[in-house]
Order: sequence, then structure tokens, then C-alpha cells
Amino acid sequence: MSAIICKDLCKTFRQGEEVITGLDNVSLSIDAGEFVCLSGPSGSGKTTLLNAMGGLDTPDSGEITVGSQRLDQLGKGELADIRLNSIGFVFQAYNLIPVLSARENVEFIMQVQGVPAAQRGQLAEQVLADVGLQGMETRLPAELSGGQQQRVAVARAIASKPRLVLADEPTANLDTHSAAQLMDLFVALNEDKGVTFVISTHDTRVMGYARRLVRLQDGRLISDEAQQPHGMAQA
Amino acid sequence: MNVTWVLAWRNLWRHGRRTWLTVGAMVFCNLLLVFMISLQLGSYQMMINNSLAMVSGHLQVQHRDFMADQRMRDSVPAVAALADSVREALGTEAVAARGQAFALASSEDRSFGVLITGVQPLYEPSVSSFPGLVSRGRYLQADDRDAIVIGAVLARNLQVDLGGELTFLGSGRDGSFAAGVATVVGIVDTGIADIDRVVAQVPLVWFQDVFTMADAGHAVVVRLDELDAVPAAVSTVSSLLAADGDLRVLDWDALQPGLRQAIQSDMASGWLMYGVLILLVAFSVLNTQLMSVLERTREFGVMLALGMSPGRLARLVGIETLLMASLGLALGLFLGALLIWYLSVAGFTYPGMEEMAARFNMDERMYPEVSLLALAWGPVTVFVFTLLAAVYPSLRLFRLQPVAAMRAV
Amino acid sequence: MGGVSRIVAVLAWRNLWRNYRRTLIMLLAIGIGVWAMIFMSALMRGMTDQMVHNGLAVLPGEVQIHHPRYRSDPSVVNSMPSPTGELLAALEKPPVSAWAARVRVPAVIASERDSRGVTLLGVDPAAERALGSLPDEILQGRFLTDAADRGVVLGASLARKLDTELGKRVVIMSQDPDNNVADRGSRVVGIYRARLASNEEQFVYAGREVLQQMLTIGTAVSEVAVSANDYRQVDSWAPAIEDAAGDNLEVLTWMELDTFLSSMLSMQDGFTLILMVVIFVALSFGLVNTLAMAVFERVREIGLMQALGMRPSLILYQLLLESLYLLVLGLILGNGLAWLTIKPLESGIDISGVAQGMEMMGMGTTLYPALAYQDMLMSTAVVIVLGLLASLLPAWRAARLDPVRALNKT
Repeated sequence: MSAIICKDLCKTFRQGEEVITGLDNVSLSIDAGEFVCLSGPSGSGKTTLLNAMGGLDTPDSGEITVGSQRLDQLGKGELADIRLNSIGFVFQAYNLIPVLSARENVEFIMQVQGVPAAQRGQLAEQVLADVGLQGMETRLPAELSGGQQQRVAVARAIASKPRLVLADEPTANLDTHSAAQLMDLFVALNEDKGVTFVISTHDTRVMGYARRLVRLQDGRLISDEAQQPHGMAQA
Repeated sequence: MNVTWVLAWRNLWRHGRRTWLTVGAMVFCNLLLVFMISLQLGSYQMMINNSLAMVSGHLQVQHRDFMADQRMRDSVPAVAALADSVREALGTEAVAARGQAFALASSEDRSFGVLITGVQPLYEPSVSSFPGLVSRGRYLQADDRDAIVIGAVLARNLQVDLGGELTFLGSGRDGSFAAGVATVVGIVDTGIADIDRVVAQVPLVWFQDVFTMADAGHAVVVRLDELDAVPAAVSTVSSLLAADGDLRVLDWDALQPGLRQAIQSDMASGWLMYGVLILLVAFSVLNTQLMSVLERTREFGVMLALGMSPGRLARLVGIETLLMASLGLALGLFLGALLIWYLSVAGFTYPGMEEMAARFNMDERMYPEVSLLALAWGPVTVFVFTLLAAVYPSLRLFRLQPVAAMRAV
Repeated sequence: MGGVSRIVAVLAWRNLWRNYRRTLIMLLAIGIGVWAMIFMSALMRGMTDQMVHNGLAVLPGEVQIHHPRYRSDPSVVNSMPSPTGELLAALEKPPVSAWAARVRVPAVIASERDSRGVTLLGVDPAAERALGSLPDEILQGRFLTDAADRGVVLGASLARKLDTELGKRVVIMSQDPDNNVADRGSRVVGIYRARLASNEEQFVYAGREVLQQMLTIGTAVSEVAVSANDYRQVDSWAPAIEDAAGDNLEVLTWMELDTFLSSMLSMQDGFTLILMVVIFVALSFGLVNTLAMAVFERVREIGLMQALGMRPSLILYQLLLESLYLLVLGLILGNGLAWLTIKPLESGIDISGVAQGMEMMGMGTTLYPALAYQDMLMSTAVVIVLGLLASLLPAWRAARLDPVRALNKT
């Protein structure tokens, strides 16, 4: 079953006088349980594609289906619901709420999702344990390292048990060790829980973990091939 | 525990000084409003009570033309009997009949035109504060006939003292020549020169005799315990009167139209000032909340990307404002209550107050009205406007695009 | 330094508009604050002016001369001789522009139907006209022709209460110096209207010579009212009159005659200042906050400037300048708003709806707001001086930032 189907996606931006091509007739289908890397240089369109998959950005033309829903036909509110309940997001900058502790950051999103108050605390601890942050639940983001903060962000993304996680340059601000730990976490979630991962990156260390590598350039899809994941070893 | 409230609370203290300054603006405004409103209401209360107690009472029964022109012949027939039936209908002692006439009052050395009021010595003390303000001598008694109580300034002008005789020359109800001699038994000193210059009270029976009034008078005066009771009393008394007759019931507002208007015009200028203060505080809050929204554009972008609806973010900003406004409200009420409590004990005065007070029948120190309304009106209005000020910043959240917002610095 | 301060001035100006929304809101707040300061002072000034004006018209004159006991005992016994000699000479020379000697006694006036206590004024119409103390409007008939006119002129309200009318006879009664009732019948030759209904009921005009004759006081008068047309300058010429009047007469200025008026006038400037400061304080919280925010979000930038060698004093100067721009723009806006709202209202605001209430304050049915330049100047001074003082705190903190730490702040 397909998790994501993109068909003839086009998107242009205006920057001053210039018209920049973001996506140029991109068609792509991703099955449930895949672990996909979108790669390409800056401005190749990978973030635009990822944002389109997450319903953050609507394409100018083309169709995009996530699960059973046509995102290009939905309104803002419905898109927000889908992001809240079916898609997990991880960003380059960890983007935690600075005044809330690790657990509260996770709990906050749960509250919005409507998880009953009684279950929230326990669930949050569970998810934080899943990402390896036992004992750090009460720390504020400023008291955590970059890698730890990013893991809180992952915990937040998977708290709703989404079937799909979209990660935009998740390792960009991390050292090699932290990056490897994060990618191991992603792989484990993918293999153990069957979560579909789409990760945009131009970090070759990350590409090594992918089972499918999609390359973009100037908004066009230039290659799409399966590969044997090899971790960071050959990076 | 609800994380949204925790988040809102902590967000407030990200910029503690800014929050305190904004709360400070609210508290300052609240205190000022509490101070001004309770003094204002207090002084109105004083103006109304003093004017009603000394002059007109809460309501009167008069001939329908008497109010406008105060002519002798626009009289109330059988005035004492009417007063008795009003007293019975209302179940209160504070009902008295009066008659009034202008006359030239002459002592041995001086003559002045005065307004003589004929009163019922038995009932007048319960409707008016004059009898209690007799500074020398005594007030009229039930068996007095040609006795008179006059104001201190009038006594000075007429160069007459207790025991002195005053001759009255005027015209009776039928236009005939009226004359009489009365002995001064008491002198009233209200401290208000305009009133002390004109008071001259004689027993009603003697008055009716001298001015050929027969059993008629000019008014039945009723004093009630509180202003709120006036409308009910008006309808009770009205039902005693013949519907097509010449008599009318007038409430204090009709008796002293200047009083309400003075209050209204003073209130109008007060409201202008309050409005401006509240507006300035609202602007201050608007700016603070707008800044706090703008500087968190990126954070809000992430929350939107995570699937939070703009409505929920607006609620967050709303809760932040609510907490801040509640803080301002609580502090404002607390400090305001302290202030009112202090002033209600110590009173308040300012230079020039004495001259003002004399003009408006007020005492020389003002005491604020101690009431929940006077205390809460200002702070609650500030509270409401503060919440309204959060609307614009919150609305901006609905225009936020997650992708663009996350790129914002 | 000239070049530097020019750049700093430009920098401060551009910084002001970086967050134009915030600046506009603050500008609006200052504008409304300044508008309120000026508008409310104009209303207060208009009220006071009118109270003084009406009050002086009733007195009348800015200086009055009486028998020393007349004020405590306004009886015909305490009359004074008509001005002669030195006093007359003083009254006939500038700055005195007009004076009138009048008989003013308490009296009873009776029609065939009713009677009332009034103040009887025996006047010389020509002198009163010069003094500006004649009734505002003659509704019916005419005013007195000269001091020997045998008629009387009543207020409309009094005529109604007496149930009398033009051409009818009324009896006026008062006392002569021997305390005998002096009375005479007179014809009502005119009915006037005054700004204040209470004046209409109180004052009855008769010819001076006629009253002097009735009261058998020869040429004596009760008071001499003197005017020089500027009530604020009275202290400069009153002493000369006092000298000329000698020890046997009491010379008082309007400030001593009507303490309510003079205390209202002296409180006015104080009230205006308090009003302005109160409004400013309400405003200042927002002002300090805005400036503090501007500093906070520019900490890195300020650190950079310091790292590049800008002296702290220059940073202080730049921030104060930014605040000054904001204040000046707000003042322009507020003054403009005030001018636009007050000018059309100067022809008068109809307040007849609350006329009887305003009468308690000595006002007529129309309020004339008075836009005074001194109020505009005072509001400008309050806003600039207190505004810069309030801005000093955030600006001072900015100037004392540690450049290294400021640069590292994210």
C-alpha cells in the first residue's frame, strides 16, 4: 500500500524579479514502511517536496495523496489535523518550546491531540524512554545538548504514533556521534514499528541509512534508486 | 495539569520586566480609576443627600404649576390632611406639609426680602436636616405660633438675635396685604452661606393665618431612606391624588433638575478622562502582546507545522493576556481597596475644595463611596479592554504561514 | 562629530521604522494622550473663562469700592458718597476703561398677584453700558433711558413668577436709612433675558436717581464698579484706586469679592498640569516598554556597534534620539488632532441639555472650548521632558551592554 503518491507536482516561487522553480513535474510514490532519503544540493527542491508531503505548502499543480487523502484538495484546518494526528515532523533546528521541559514539550502536543490528561504523563515518559532520554524529562531545552534536544523533537513527533515521519535536515546541527545515534533511532522506529520515514538531507552520513535514495536537482527528480543501507561506515 | 496554562504562564515571564511594566500600567490606571470614581460617586452622594435633606426631600406633592413659577396661588388645599394620608400610605413618619411666601422681613434696623417657609414643627425634623443644625436657641415646637427660626447669615444681615422680633410684610394668597410679627427662637448654621442667607421657618398654622392661606399649603415633602425607594413611593402617593386634579407628585430629579445635570455633566467629563486612560492602557497591552507574538513567529510556525491550529495558538495568546490582565485586576482591586479604605477614614481635600464645596452643598472634606461598584468598575473595565487589546495580535496568528514563519528570525 | 551625529540621526530614524506596527501603535497612543491633554485643558479653560466672564458681569467690574461695612451688611445704611476729587480723578484716567456708581439694595417687589425678594439695582444706563454690565438681551420694551428713568426693568423669569407683564405696575419696597419702609409704584418698561436664569430672578433695574430719591440718600451710592477690561491684570492698577479712595472706603478686586472664581482660576493651571502628568504616566509604561523591546531585540547589533568602536554615549544618544523622534511625531499628531477637534467647537458646544446643572457652576447653555497656546506648550514640555526621562532607563541599559556577551546572544 502506498503511503505517499505525488503526481506531476509543480511549484514556483518569486524572489524579487526572478521566478524560481521549486518543483518541476515531480512524480513519486512511497510505500508504507519505506525509509527514503531525499537528497540534492541547496535549492534542489527537497524541502519544498517535504513540505508538500506534510501539507505545509500547497503545490501550484499536480496531485499529492498521503494515506487515503488528497492533500491538494484539503483546507488549512484539515491539513493541520492531518499533521497533528498522522504525520510526525522533525526540523533542522530542534524548535522546542524553550519555557517547557522535555516532558512538557511532548505533553503539550499530546494535549492538543486530545490525549486524556491521565494518560499523558505516562505516555510522555514512555516516548521519551523510547528515544533514550530517561531521567532527563524535567530538563528545559537549554539544559540539554543538541542531540538530546533533537531526540525530544523526535519524541514529540512520534508521540501521536504517526505512520509517517518527515524530517528536514535533522542532523544539520549535530556532531557525528549524535547524528549516528539519531539515525539509529530512526532505523529502529522504522524496523520495529513500521513507521515510514522520509528524510531530506545533503549529509552523506544520513544517506547511508536509506533503503531508497531519491535525488533532486533544480526541482526535477533526477534519480530514484533502491540501495542496501550501510549506515555511516562507508560515508 | 493543563500544559497550555503552564505554557502561557511561563511565556509571560520570558520578559519579566516587560510583563511587570504592562501590569504596572494596568495597576496605575486601576488605582486612578478607583480613586476618581469612588470620590466622584462619593461627592454625588453627598451633593444629593445634602441638597435633598436641606432643601427638597425625595419627593413632593405640589400644585402642577408651582414648580415652574412658585406662585402663592398655586397651592395645595387641605395640606396637613393630605400629609397625614401620605404618611399613612407610605408608612413613614418622614412626611411634612409646607407653605412658602416671599415677604419683606424687618428688624429694628434692617429690612430684607426673605422666603418664609411654614412648616409642621412636629414632622419637619424627620424630613429635613435644618432642625438638627440649630446652633443657638431651639427649633420650632408643636405649640409655637409666632415663632421663627432663621439662618445665621440672615440673622447677621437683619442684625437680629434670639428673642428679637421680625415684622413681615407681603401679600396673601388672595393678593391682600399680609403682615405679621414673629419672635426669633432659633438660629440655624448649616455652614453653607447661600442657605444660611435665606432660611426662615415659621409654624405652618401661623403661616396660613398671616398669608390668608386657610388650610392650604404649597407642598407635602417626603423623605425616604434611599434613592432607590423613590419610584415606588411616587406611584403610591400618586394613587392618593385625583387623576384629573391639579396636584402632581414630583421626585427629587424633577424638584432639583440642576442636581442631576450637574452630576451628568461632571460624569461626562469624568468618562472622557477614564476613556482616555483605559485606551492608553489598552494600547500598552496591545503593543506588548503584538511584540510577544511577533518575536515568537518562528516558534508559532513550528507549532503550526506540528499541526496545531491557529485558533489554538490564538487561545494561548488569549490565555497569556488573561493571566496578565488578572494580575492587573487582582493588584488593582487589592491596592484600590486599601486606598479607599484609607480615604474613607482620612477623607480627602484639595486646595480650592472649600469654595467648590460651598457652591455644591458639599462638606469640606470628601469621603469616597465605599462600594463594590465604585471599587470594581474601573479595574473590571480595564480588564475587559485589556482582553480586547489581545484580539489584533491573536488575529495575526491566522495569517501566519508555517513555512514562512519558520524561516523568520 | 558633525558627520557622526548626522549618521546617528539617520540611524535612529530608520530604526524607528523597522517595526512600523509597533511604532504606529505607540504613535497613536502618544497622539491620543496628547490630544486628551490639550482637549481636556481646552474644555476646562473654556469653562473657567466663562465662569469668570459671567461672574465678572454679575459682580460687575474687576474692582469694587464699598463702604467698609457694606459687604457684611449690604444695607442702605452702609452707603458711600459718590466719587469725588482724588478718587474721581483716578477713575477717569487709564487704565480704567469704565466705571459705574450704583445703588444696590435688597428689596421686595410685589405685583398685584405675588411678591419676591430681589436685589434692586439703581443704575446709570450710560455708565453700565460702558462697563458691559447691562442685561444680555431686552426681550420686550426697552432698557432704562437714563438715571432719572422712572420705570423698572425685570428679568423674564421674575416677570413670569410675579405674574406681571410689560406696562403693568409693580411695587418696590426697601428700607431707608432710618429703617422705615420706603416703597414706590413703578411701571415695568422692559423685560430682559440673562445668561443665567438665577440672575434674571435676582436683579431688578431702576434709575439711580429715582432710587436715591426713594431711599432718601441724596447722591450716595452702594458701590462703585471699575473695569480695565483685563481681569488678569487687575493687581497692577487696583492699588492706585485704593490709594485714591482713602481709608474710609474698602477697595476689593474681583479675586477677593468672589473667592470661588479666583480659586477656580488659580486651580486651573494646577489641575491642567496634574491632568497632563497623569495622562503621561499612563502613557509612559507603554513608552518605556516599547523602547526596552527595541533595545532587547537589537542587543546583538548594539554589541556589534560597540565592538566596532562606537562609544556608549553615542548609543545612549542614538536611543534617546529615537525616543525623541517618536515623542515629537506623537506631539505633532496629538496637537494636530486637538486643533482639528477644538477649532470647529470654538463656536460653542450646546450643553443646554444640562443647563441647570451647569448653572450651579455659573455657566450658560453653551460651552466654548478655548485652545490656548500655553496648554499646547505645556503638554509639549511635559511629554518631551518626562518622555526623555522615562527613556533614559532603557537607553542607559543599552549603553552599558558588554559587547562580547551582547554579540554572543542569539
